[in-house]
Amino acid sequence: METTHSLSFFLTLPLFGMVLALLVPKGVQRIYSIFASILFFALTLYEASGILFAGSARLAESLVVEHHLAWLPEIGVRLSLRLDSISAWFVLLNSLVAVIAFSAKGVWYRKYPRLFSALGFFLVFALNAAFMSTDLVVFYLAYEAVFIPMILMVGIWGENQKATAVFRFFLMSFLGSIMMLVSIFYLISIQMKSASGVSPHVADLATTVKGLQGSEAMWVFMGFFLAFAIKVPLVPFHSWLKDVYTFAPMPATIWMSAMLSKLGVIGMIRFVEPIFAGVLPQIQGLLMTLAAISVVYAAMLALKSDRPKSLLAYSSISHLGFVMLGVFTLQGQGNSSAVLLSVGHTLTSALLFFLLHKVEEGQEQLDLSSPHGLASDHPILFTSLFIAVLASVSLPGTINFAGEFLVLLHSYPVSVLCTGIAGLGVVLGAAYMLKFYQQMGFGSLSMGNSDETAKTRDLGGYELVLVFWLLAAVIFCGFQTSIFLKGN
Amino acid sequence: MSLEIQSLGPWLFLACGILGTLLVSVVRPSTKRPAQISALLTLLGTAILAVRGLGSDSLVAMSGTFEISQLTHGFLAAVCGLGILFILGTGHYLTRERIHLSDYYHLLLVLILGASILVASKHLVVTFIALEVMSLAAYTLAGFRRNDSRSNEAAIKYFILGGAMAAVYLLGVSFVFGATGSMQLGAIYEWSKSSSSGHDLFRFGHLMLVLSFLFKVAAAPLHFWKPDVYEGAPTPVTGIMASVITSAAFLTLIRLVHLVDFGASDWVSHGDLMKGVLRVSAAASLIVGSMIMITQKNLKRMLAYSSITHSGYLLLGALGTFSPALEISSMLIYLGGYAVMSTGVFVLLTVSCAQADTGVELIDLTGLMKRAPFLTLLWIVFLLSMAGMPFTVGFFTKYFVFIASLGSNEVGLVILAAICTVVGAYAYLRPIALMTMRDAAPGASDWRPTLGSQMVVVTAAAAVLVLGIAPNPVIHFLKGISLIH
Repeated sequence: METTHSLSFFLTLPLFGMVLALLVPKGVQRIYSIFASILFFALTLYEASGILFAGSARLAESLVVEHHLAWLPEIGVRLSLRLDSISAWFVLLNSLVAVIAFSAKGVWYRKYPRLFSALGFFLVFALNAAFMSTDLVVFYLAYEAVFIPMILMVGIWGENQKATAVFRFFLMSFLGSIMMLVSIFYLISIQMKSASGVSPHVADLATTVKGLQGSEAMWVFMGFFLAFAIKVPLVPFHSWLKDVYTFAPMPATIWMSAMLSKLGVIGMIRFVEPIFAGVLPQIQGLLMTLAAISVVYAAMLALKSDRPKSLLAYSSISHLGFVMLGVFTLQGQGNSSAVLLSVGHTLTSALLFFLLHKVEEGQEQLDLSSPHGLASDHPILFTSLFIAVLASVSLPGTINFAGEFLVLLHSYPVSVLCTGIAGLGVVLGAAYMLKFYQQMGFGSLSMGNSDETAKTRDLGGYELVLVFWLLAAVIFCGFQTSIFLKGN
Repeated sequence: MSLEIQSLGPWLFLACGILGTLLVSVVRPSTKRPAQISALLTLLGTAILAVRGLGSDSLVAMSGTFEISQLTHGFLAAVCGLGILFILGTGHYLTRERIHLSDYYHLLLVLILGASILVASKHLVVTFIALEVMSLAAYTLAGFRRNDSRSNEAAIKYFILGGAMAAVYLLGVSFVFGATGSMQLGAIYEWSKSSSSGHDLFRFGHLMLVLSFLFKVAAAPLHFWKPDVYEGAPTPVTGIMASVITSAAFLTLIRLVHLVDFGASDWVSHGDLMKGVLRVSAAASLIVGSMIMITQKNLKRMLAYSSITHSGYLLLGALGTFSPALEISSMLIYLGGYAVMSTGVFVLLTVSCAQADTGVELIDLTGLMKRAPFLTLLWIVFLLSMAGMPFTVGFFTKYFVFIASLGSNEVGLVILAAICTVVGAYAYLRPIALMTMRDAAPGASDWRPTLGSQMVVVTAAAAVLVLGIAPNPVIHFLKGISLIH
């Protein structure tokens, strides 16, 4: 407990980075953001490695850091942060994704570069706060705060029909989170009437929910579920996703697919499971069915997609369906496999979007209806893309394979049917990802395209190093799954 | 008696200041500067006296008609502060519109005096007088752009409807007096403890009192006057109406609703009637305000509907005052936060050099980001705060009214309010989208902030953010304030 100071550093450093971003000259903004985010990643890795790479669960448990700071004592809200083997992964990934997102070139460093990187650092701050908080009100605040940079990024730097996309994204997410807020308020108002006083801390809320009668707890749960199901998203709530992923600037897309979806995952694991432990078993079947349907339905949409960005968007939903399947097993092991798969999904989707932006650089607009034959011009880029695609289709040896395998393994005893349906997703995943790769890379060059492809550069220098290390991480974690699934 | 006079000091100082300002404007009618300075000094002096009075004991002075307490001192200090901000921030607007007259300043002071007496009043007739003092100044100020037909329309509409509702109020007073034999709030409260609610006379009169103030706060379905008046009135006056008049009217509304002891078993059914009225009005305000807000093209009209929505949220807080009884902290927090936000927004509106202030159209905001990035940032702060996003004061204001009304078991209403928040968020996001996503249309109006307005807006934005991040001291202070029966 002597290292309590280290937790607030996860929050203060990004804020410091944000202030600095506003002061740094425009010309060196990109270099500054990349350097600052790499530095932050290194520090995060240093601070979190103890927990992440501890040999056993007991050792990891002994390294858990909690930090409580009275923030709003009048309403019982404390800045309660917790770094354990779940949140440490998300915090680490958050700092890594910031590096990738800032590395993606695009309009942003030509137009208001200061504002963009300031928003980026604010996003890192808000995400870190959401990942580490154990106080529901603080979590909610951070969860909502993530919107602000996100909608501004899409709104200011997005393309084409960004306005519709932004509004749909914002309104659906906001509807979900405001319903969660009502649920939170309801629990707090019950606490206010009891003698023990208000405390939106997870453990105290769990006690409050136990005291609820009949269907009350179910309704309160629905508020939370709606918020997280929209955020992840699960299938009936996914309609906002495609447009906003497609029209957002690439760094924002990377952030959304890699990190924002994880807010829903951590919300489920951190808050919903402990608070509604009594309610969840009653509707577990429904939840798992939703997750399984998400996997297959999104995979089929991905097969039908005509633009690479929307294909990757749907593939993201499909993989997150697996993650949620793991979460809804409601067991510790299912959760750890879901975390493992989340890490895999974060790495591969960030990587895929990053490589896609390299492919699309200098191109007018790529569609998947005709072959583009870009591979011969960019051998290194397409080799990397191939490895990323293989990781995305869960080839054994990659982290995604380990994740999906373990998720299916743990969901099998709970529901054979859902496991079977979700298993189809693996096959479909291979189909759409290979179609994606084939159309982008192979086939003859279409006429009139050669001038434009010349503008695209192959991976080189810094980008190559970045991609190499990411691919290495994908494969390393695929073999070293023991760091996720610790025995006692 | 001398003690009472002493404790009335801040109000007396303000009244003397009004006379002084009037005198200055008579002596030097051609220039507005002396009146402006005199008004500023008056407000500053009153605010200082009021803040000094915060620590003193509560008492009901003037034979039980005037409450002197933390609440009334605090309110006086707050509205004086708002007045100072508006005077400092909007001088350029008055000059541009050619209405920079010394009369403006003493009418403004009269309005503030009326509002502060209204909040302090413990007597139905004093309430009426204060209401009229405040309203007459507001009617005049609303019509201050004499050459503009919309401003005239605003003044006349406001005056006629306000006059009619004042008559309704007086009708209520006469019924209540007939039933209880008193017009002192304290005495009526005592009467209610010993009397049964079987008095239909009283119930009717009470309802009339509450309705007349629901009109003043523009809660639906008594909101029709608001968009026209907001649009027509000079922008600084609209801002003062949104912050000062709304706050004063809401606090008085709470006093009038809690005229009787709802805790007593005889009054339960009457309490349910009152709750029902507030509930219907809250739901209607939320729905009407947020739905119509989406369709508006004029910023001032949009803000008028926005303020109707805010009245809805405040009525949620008002419902929260039933249990625990007279717990007004949630409303105080909301009123404070809303006053800060609307000060910022309306001062910001005055820096638009739109043609002849027919009000700023939404379209004037297009591409503002390119033309004035800093102003855009400020707009974004205020609009996000109005939408209730975290790290702005708008989040905590909603937080407290939601919790307060859930404490009174208004679950359905809170869910409705939550949905309306999403609808409202769409409306607040539209201007942001216009500012950041598009390039300016040709002929879009210029935005030229003066030093004064910039200072005021930055202060308000800082307050919005600081109160959104560290609201604890303010919450602590406001929770200590209570209404006295």
